[in-house]
Amino acid sequence: MADLGYYKMHALIIDDFENFRGTLYKMLMDLGIGNVDSAASGEEALRFCKARSYDIILCDNNLGKGKSGQQVLEQLRSTDNTCSDSLFILVSAESSKGTIMAAYDYEPDAYLAKPITPKALDQRLGRLIEQRVELKAIHAAQKSGDDQLAINLCKDLVDSGSRYANVCQKLLGQLFLKNNNLAAAESVYRTVLDNRELEWAQLGMVKTKLAQNDLLGAQQWLENILQANPLCMKAYDLQAELFKLQNDYEGLQGILQKATDISPLSILRQQALGDVAQQNNDLVTAANALKRAVKLGENSCFDNPSVHSLFAQTTIDLYSIDKELAKPFVREAIVCVNNLEENFGKSNLRKIESLLLESQLQVCAGDQRRAQDALASAQSSLVGNEDENALSVQIELVRTLRLIGKADEAQQLLEDLLHRYAGKEEHLQHLDVLLDEPRSEKNKLMVAEINKKGITFYNAKDFTAAADAFKTALQKLPNHIGLRLNYVQAMIDKLRTHFDAGTSEKVQQTFTKTNAIISQQHPQFQRYRQLSDVYTALIKAYEKNKRG
Amino acid sequence: MPKQNSGNDDSEQTPIDFSFVLASSVHDMKNSLGMLLNTLSAMMANSPPKDAEQAQFFSVLEYEAARINGELVQLLSLYRMDENTMSVVIDQHYVSDIIDEQIARNDTLLKSRNIDVQVNCDSNLVWYFDNELIGGVLNNLIVNCARYSRKQLRLTAIEEGNFLCISIADDGQGYPDNMLMGAVPQTPVSFSSGNTRLGLLFTGKVLELHKSKKGQGYMTIANNGPLGGGVLTLHLP
Repeated sequence: MADLGYYKMHALIIDDFENFRGTLYKMLMDLGIGNVDSAASGEEALRFCKARSYDIILCDNNLGKGKSGQQVLEQLRSTDNTCSDSLFILVSAESSKGTIMAAYDYEPDAYLAKPITPKALDQRLGRLIEQRVELKAIHAAQKSGDDQLAINLCKDLVDSGSRYANVCQKLLGQLFLKNNNLAAAESVYRTVLDNRELEWAQLGMVKTKLAQNDLLGAQQWLENILQANPLCMKAYDLQAELFKLQNDYEGLQGILQKATDISPLSILRQQALGDVAQQNNDLVTAANALKRAVKLGENSCFDNPSVHSLFAQTTIDLYSIDKELAKPFVREAIVCVNNLEENFGKSNLRKIESLLLESQLQVCAGDQRRAQDALASAQSSLVGNEDENALSVQIELVRTLRLIGKADEAQQLLEDLLHRYAGKEEHLQHLDVLLDEPRSEKNKLMVAEINKKGITFYNAKDFTAAADAFKTALQKLPNHIGLRLNYVQAMIDKLRTHFDAGTSEKVQQTFTKTNAIISQQHPQFQRYRQLSDVYTALIKAYEKNKRG
Repeated sequence: MPKQNSGNDDSEQTPIDFSFVLASSVHDMKNSLGMLLNTLSAMMANSPPKDAEQAQFFSVLEYEAARINGELVQLLSLYRMDENTMSVVIDQHYVSDIIDEQIARNDTLLKSRNIDVQVNCDSNLVWYFDNELIGGVLNNLIVNCARYSRKQLRLTAIEEGNFLCISIADDGQGYPDNMLMGAVPQTPVSFSSGNTRLGLLFTGKVLELHKSKKGQGYMTIANNGPLGGGVLTLHLP
């Protein structure tokens, strides 16, 4: 084998077993690698990677406690660091991608199955490094931002029949897509596909079609891929992207649900599912996904405080429509908010936010005393805080006061805030979330538009579309009584044409929530009562029908 | 009214999902075996064999552990195929790469048995397959042949009639008659004979997963091969 310059290289071994580190160390030294470091955990390895760049990283996937090999890889590849393009070899006791399917977002350069023999390691490393050498100029061009040069170099290698022609074609497709040269990308993928139906080229076609805004074309390619390989996670991700472009949030939730069923360890998909289910007002699905996302966040670089807050908020929202459904989440949500500062750094605002969320969650847990204590601590920390960013915390405070039963105090605070931010459009947009009638111009307009759209659907007897329209607005303005009643009315008419338990449950939950926020003096109180009676009568008739 | 399956009813127990239980414990066994193999290689590094007899002991230990490991991997893979959770990704690969890889993986074993391995494969031959699955199949075949051959193994890869044919020939006494009868039977597991033929079942399933417009993968088995013993050939579209 040609001299690949092993003596100049620096390698890093990551394995929690000392024995194994020793064996690998000896193997690498015997191969002539210049320097070899060893780390016993992912965390230690990442510290090493901060200090210097490594040519080769050999990492076991199962590292016991702490980060997994996959999570180390994700952190190295997704963040800016000196090892972002090290050769990364994931070692696993069980060969493969099958077990590490979450791996799909960030793939290592190679997998190596244990037990490793010196010869197998020699051969695999040799091949990978030869490839690196051959493609070095291309990588350098890419890194310096000269995509055109990289494209030309790839073309040269393909034309000369290089051993890496296949790799170059994959790169070419990516580079054309990145530079929005869609015709050229399509031509690369079609050339490959004419010869053989390869998954990566089919996925490339989907990306090309999406970029061309040919959504139907993209859909057809996706169906082909998923029919041949129902486990292709990249296809699920692209399908999700397609639904987003179509503003089809039910579809988006469905595909993310499927993807997380197949590959539950992907934190990004769990976060996305929690997010969209929360938007779709499917709070049980949202709470479940967010709970898993919080758990997966423990060792992941993709962990994010907003996911933790959203988990707590979703649990609280769930409590307001159905106490029983919220029960299984309350304890964990409390732990989650209590750890917010520890996990994401100390700050006064974060402390207040976590106390306010805790206070609400303690109400859900039925512990009034703790709820009051947390509220009191939050309020004392808030004294004198004139920070503009404190608005989100003030909003949380209003919510807490309402839930804990201090309606007057909540109202007083809300009025103070409206006074303070009068005429400030952006702040008002945030405050609208607490209000029956929006104050910001943007949201006023939105309500007018959605009402118009919903009522048009309603009059055309398309009750599903009408309900969906009202629901979208309700996500942004959950305290808007008019919208809420419009939504319920459309749902009741939907039930009338076709009774199903899911819809009925949604109506029931909406009434529970409405009941909690409406006062007898509200101008729409009469309408609320009427709708409630209609629904009760409808249920009675249905039950009777079923029995008879 | 049909009886409801309630938790309180003692007469009705929750059925055991045996394949799931098996798969989980296989997973566990694999981890233990991994530790065992690690410790073994550390032991060999610390105290290298002093004489031929000791070397022989080590080699038996290593071989049997590798065989168990191979079987467990196959079991898990079959479980996944059965559950439709086995992902198959066909891509273009150099055939010589995958052959060399599997020989390298079994280097210690082959050396300790003094088996000479020849490879006949054009280094530019490329084909389309899932390299992990086919790699697994080749690994099992090599481990198996290492047991039955005397001193030689020959791996040959050629393109024939739009199919890639990888054959592995040995100089042993050949495959028993009942294995030569055409296609591999669907129920090859025979606990009484001690030969579960798990390897053949696995190979057959992996080949079935390789299809294209040209057809589906299959294998053939014959005796009196180029080295005088058996020869097994994988045919990939």
